Amino acid sequence: MIAVLTYKPYIRLRKIIVVMLAAIAIALPQSSFAQTGVPESHVKAVFLFNFTQFTEWPEGSFADGNAPLVIGILGNDPFDRYLEETVKDERVQGRHIVIQHYKSIDEVKSCHLLYISEKDPDKVSEIIGALKKPRMLTVSDCRNFTKIGGMIGFIKRNNKIKLQANPTAARSAGLTISSKLLRVSEITD
Amino acid sequence: MKSKGYNLTNRNMAVTAAASPPLRSLHRWLFFVLILITLPRLTYAQPGKRLSPEDLKKLSVEELMNLEVTSVSKAPEKLSEVASAVQVVTNEDVVRSTATRLPEALRLATNLQVAQSNAHDWAVTARGFNGAPLSSNTLANKLLVMIDGRTIYTPLFGGVFWGVQNVMLEDLDRIEVVSGPGGTLWGANAVNGVINIMSKSARETQGLLFSESIGTFLQDQISLRYGAQVDSKLFFRVYGQRIDHNPTRRLNGDESNDEWHMTQGGFRMDYYPTSKNTFTLQGDIYGGKTDSAVSDLNGQNVLARWTHLFTDQSDITLQVYYDRTYRNQEASGLFDVLNTYDADFQHHFPVRKRHKVLWGIGYRIMDDNFRSTPGLSFSPSRRTLDLFNGFIQDQISLIPRQLELTLGTKLIHNDYTGFEWQPSARIAWLPNQRNTLWAAVSRAVKTPSRLDAEIISPVLGSVQDFRSEKVTAYELGYRMTPTNKVSLSLAVFHNNYDHVRSIDTNLNSGPFFVFDNNLDGSSSGIEFSANVFLRNWWRIRGGYTFLRTKLSPSAPQVLPASVLVEAQDPRNQILLQSNMDLPKGFQLDLVGRYVDLVPSTIAVASFITLNARIAWVYKRFTFSINGRNLLQERHTEFGNRQIPRSIYQKITLRL
Repeated sequence: MIAVLTYKPYIRLRKIIVVMLAAIAIALPQSSFAQTGVPESHVKAVFLFNFTQFTEWPEGSFADGNAPLVIGILGNDPFDRYLEETVKDERVQGRHIVIQHYKSIDEVKSCHLLYISEKDPDKVSEIIGALKKPRMLTVSDCRNFTKIGGMIGFIKRNNKIKLQANPTAARSAGLTISSKLLRVSEITD
Repeated sequence: MKSKGYNLTNRNMAVTAAASPPLRSLHRWLFFVLILITLPRLTYAQPGKRLSPEDLKKLSVEELMNLEVTSVSKAPEKLSEVASAVQVVTNEDVVRSTATRLPEALRLATNLQVAQSNAHDWAVTARGFNGAPLSSNTLANKLLVMIDGRTIYTPLFGGVFWGVQNVMLEDLDRIEVVSGPGGTLWGANAVNGVINIMSKSARETQGLLFSESIGTFLQDQISLRYGAQVDSKLFFRVYGQRIDHNPTRRLNGDESNDEWHMTQGGFRMDYYPTSKNTFTLQGDIYGGKTDSAVSDLNGQNVLARWTHLFTDQSDITLQVYYDRTYRNQEASGLFDVLNTYDADFQHHFPVRKRHKVLWGIGYRIMDDNFRSTPGLSFSPSRRTLDLFNGFIQDQISLIPRQLELTLGTKLIHNDYTGFEWQPSARIAWLPNQRNTLWAAVSRAVKTPSRLDAEIISPVLGSVQDFRSEKVTAYELGYRMTPTNKVSLSLAVFHNNYDHVRSIDTNLNSGPFFVFDNNLDGSSSGIEFSANVFLRNWWRIRGGYTFLRTKLSPSAPQVLPASVLVEAQDPRNQILLQSNMDLPKGFQLDLVGRYVDLVPSTIAVASFITLNARIAWVYKRFTFSINGRNLLQERHTEFGNRQIPRSIYQKITLRL
């Protein structure tokens, strides 16, 4: 490395680098640079976990006091075990959280939060229409998800994940999304 | 001219360095002190180091919403639905493979045949037809190759001068390789395949990146990129790169004279005025030389693209670019200046519920000026070629989300053969989300290049009306993702070729031999590829490709050696890439390759070789040691140059 920096053709280039680094060292405020960042799926996985904390399910949603809270993933699992790691050892009002995977809409059982891993709004809207078990919080990153009847949508803006929420859709399914979560979300219903 | 300095070997470099000790130590210390000052100013989210769920759970919802995120993989679910033999090489595949230049990255797409012919040129093709060496290049001419939408094959011979096609691999997003005629979506020359090289957007390449490599065959490579945000809608990056390569060896072990020096810079700007509009402006400029001090290669290009979304199903794209390439290789008598002006338009819209229509038109002017020498000239020496390109396709959902039929055709008009139709039909059956079975029949046309139709030399000329080569391709494929961690793809094909270029004994007056269209034949093959996450820290990918080409003369005057001039391809090849994330930020990556013997005028033996990389990621630094072609001291891949075993070290710093 050092030998490289002293290689003759590099000397001018190295001067330029030194000047650039100097400029950056002086000009750069703390942690302002847009970074290569955290994997999107990791942030979304933690969001899903947070949603379980900020949602109230109606009575009778759980078989008994010990029944786990089920997060269902419909379609391809983008989380690559990160979601499992996130909810491992976590409890929501004393309940464990388990993850289930569904390949198609017919397989969707009684879960409490359903993440719809599908980007095509037409297909998502069909899925929402076909869901016959209403007591689940639906989440997806499909565009305009909350406008087509979904409850919480992830949208990516400037490489950041923002939330859209449709509390009306949640309410009609008997769910209550905490105002703490609604306050920081865009409301589109 | 600094050619003296560049020719120094590593040992001599140390001598040069010792000659200026005060300068050396001052700069060295300043450099490291500044790095030390800069580093603590940057806090969370280093690349390579993932945050644990515990770390992220500590953040509030607002804080989560303010985290910069990256998408690890782009739309893999879309890919599994594509009804063609597509393979995708991602940024991570490339960065961890020891590749330093684009063609080395292309090797990772196992549906390509890639062979290095000297220090700066490669024979690259899909489904065969890597032709014989021509003036340090090859005659492979059946691929459409694009970098960020800009076509880079030359009308001079229909192939690519790979040496001048450089991108900063750290900012590469992905390479999509379609083997086969590639449907109707793509432009001219997509006969045997399409290579689509895409860089990341400016939004995805923010901040400073500096990398520097030094080694034995790769003498040195230095890259610098800076990306920033003007406001919340406008992003840009600028970059510069310098590469110096040592020469290959001749068959007798002597050093060849194909050393290679290239400096390149460029920019990209992405502007998102509203959620429905995207503007991109980008450009590159490069200059370098090869083989001898008198060579001069340079190029400049600029491209603008506008995409507008009407709805999720409907959009238009308008793109224009200008590209100039200048090539002066006095040693081999090659002097060519090419100016290309291109405009393309695409429109995508649904018709009722079951039809997705895509159509487009493009127009390209290529002004090519070849300076004649007594040994080689073109008639006329300067020619302006017009190429009109239109296409339309309809994707019909016979059974929604289960059975999709795509019908389409391309229509091109060129100066040599006029209008050419290229229809195709594809059908895909998706019984469920994890399986796709597809089949396709397409007809594609290789229109003449200047070499085919206009060459004049004492030995070799061209017939009066050189025609297009035609291929009818039959394909069958199966894609499967049995679990979320495994994806497999299998494609089989059979191609029938007519009027392939031949070299004939000239029956008339003039040169001894002429290019004509008197080869017919077929090729068939199997392309298998797999991608497996064995553990969440260990991923392997790879593929096996079998290829058999049969060409035979259709006229008595064809030279038997014609067949070898057109197609010199290995029958079997295997690639296996393994990427391991080890504890404490270490990475161990391997790429193994087996390439079968190439039947050739200069026979190339089969070989197995291995590239290995050990890297250590510490905060914003990545330090790696890379070994290439480790299993033998030297080996030949194509033609008569030997590629040496080599190592290089690399340091990357991201701020």
